[in-house]
Amino acid sequence: MSDQSLNTAAESRLTPILVAANDRWLPAIILLVATVVAWEAAVRIFDISAFIVPAPTAIARSLIDQWPSLMQATLVTAGEILFGFIVSVAVGIAIALVIVRFDWLGRALYPLVVLFQNVPKVALAPIFILWFGYGLAPKIGLILVIAFFPVTLSMLAGMQSVDRSLLSLMNSVGASQSQILFRIRVPHSLPQLMAGTKIAATLSVIGAIVGEFAGAQDGLGYVIQFASTQLDTAQVFAALLLVSVLGIVFYYAAEILERVVVPWAPKFSRA
Amino acid sequence: MRQSAMRIDTIRAAETRPTTVRHDDALISAKGVSLVLSRQLILQNIDLSVPKGSFVSLIGPSGCGKSTLLKLMAGLLQPTEGSVSIAGLPPVEAARKRMIGLVFQEANLLPWKNAVDNASMLLSIADRSLSRAELRARGQEMLELVGLGDSAHKQPHELSGGMRQRVAIARALALDPAVLLMDEPFGALDAITRDSMGQSLLDIWQRTGKTIVLVTHSIDEAIHLSRHVHVLGIKPGRITESLDIDLPYPRDLSLTEEPEFVRLVVQLRTMLRESHQPGASS
Repeated sequence: MSDQSLNTAAESRLTPILVAANDRWLPAIILLVATVVAWEAAVRIFDISAFIVPAPTAIARSLIDQWPSLMQATLVTAGEILFGFIVSVAVGIAIALVIVRFDWLGRALYPLVVLFQNVPKVALAPIFILWFGYGLAPKIGLILVIAFFPVTLSMLAGMQSVDRSLLSLMNSVGASQSQILFRIRVPHSLPQLMAGTKIAATLSVIGAIVGEFAGAQDGLGYVIQFASTQLDTAQVFAALLLVSVLGIVFYYAAEILERVVVPWAPKFSRA
Repeated sequence: MRQSAMRIDTIRAAETRPTTVRHDDALISAKGVSLVLSRQLILQNIDLSVPKGSFVSLIGPSGCGKSTLLKLMAGLLQPTEGSVSIAGLPPVEAARKRMIGLVFQEANLLPWKNAVDNASMLLSIADRSLSRAELRARGQEMLELVGLGDSAHKQPHELSGGMRQRVAIARALALDPAVLLMDEPFGALDAITRDSMGQSLLDIWQRTGKTIVLVTHSIDEAIHLSRHVHVLGIKPGRITESLDIDLPYPRDLSLTEEPEFVRLVVQLRTMLRESHQPGASS
């Protein structure tokens, strides 16, 4: 169990992924480059106004010129996403556990949670600003209401899909309800919980941007809104690009988390 | 179909059936057991005695309630009428005293635990005083008993279906139960694996001296393995025939070619065919 053997094991597992990536990503990269070149050409040939559709080079220039302030905004938004995501996952797990463990409370809570999903949560943003001001709190609140649901739902589905004969086995040796919960149901739910967590990661990005749209003095959402009032469309696109990068980073972070938490999940063990 | 929607009054009327079962050396005994679930009479007036140390098979068509009868013995269901006892105890109490080992058709191993930890999983809940090392040692010992001594650190997905089922048997044996209750344990396996699993089970039975009750729908398996076979009929589920298999142990697969084996197969097949005819009572 030396560190070295662990490292080589990790490397040997990563190498085929890198090799496969070449084949897997190449067509997408070619299409992306072709699209950007066509876009640049179209803007130049048809002389499209920069505040309607800026050329990729104009966006790049804006990105470089505004780099320090854009980075600062990116950090603010990333912080909101990370904090909001962690709170959403924690609350989502807690609600799922309460629903499964305490039958009566679960039957009270579950329909309300589902009902609450019908509220257009984006529309709650102005109310959160009213209640919590312009700082971090309203963004966290908004991310929470948007992102906790897939976590709760996926974990519930995982905990409730334990095979009945396995429960019979546990009952036959006199296992308590909390032993069944923590030794069987919770670990059994982890693969599905991680799928819900990845959805929550994506929704957290949306929550942060919407929160900033509704009222903020910083962050990429604020930059987008401010730049569009200035008709600085190139900067809007530059900020959009950074939001997308954030989204991708958070999604893959959740995917790495999945590999760490449930290396035994069916999707990994098939190979 | 109508016959199945019976009431308890009807069960009582059927209680006149003569009892021919000896209860002297019985480890498991069911007396006048009937079960009604969702207004359907599932089992009717079952009298069954499983002698200590014997190997008993329950065989019957689908829907005859043979698995349900096993659940009653395991204490997972309670009879509507009559009683089941294991060494004189109600099954639920016997289970608490680790007297019952259960094996189902699906191995149901925990995918996040390796073979040895799966083998000791139920024991760890039944006896919380055991240390991790003691649990491991016991799990390893049981894996060796079922012929998986060198697969202790494999994850369930690295094991074949037959090997997973061996771990499930090891998990049940780790409790050191008096009785092994098995519900079609080889039902999901291919024919060749099935044969070798049956042979292993015989081997384990002879080495450990456990009392085994096996639910199966394989005629060959029932005759090859067991000392007593009980045939269940349908609508409602009841014991229609009992057959003693007086072939000497140890038995192996060459047994299946002997005339006496073939004769028993024909006899049991005829009994099974008759058990398919629905009837209120025998």
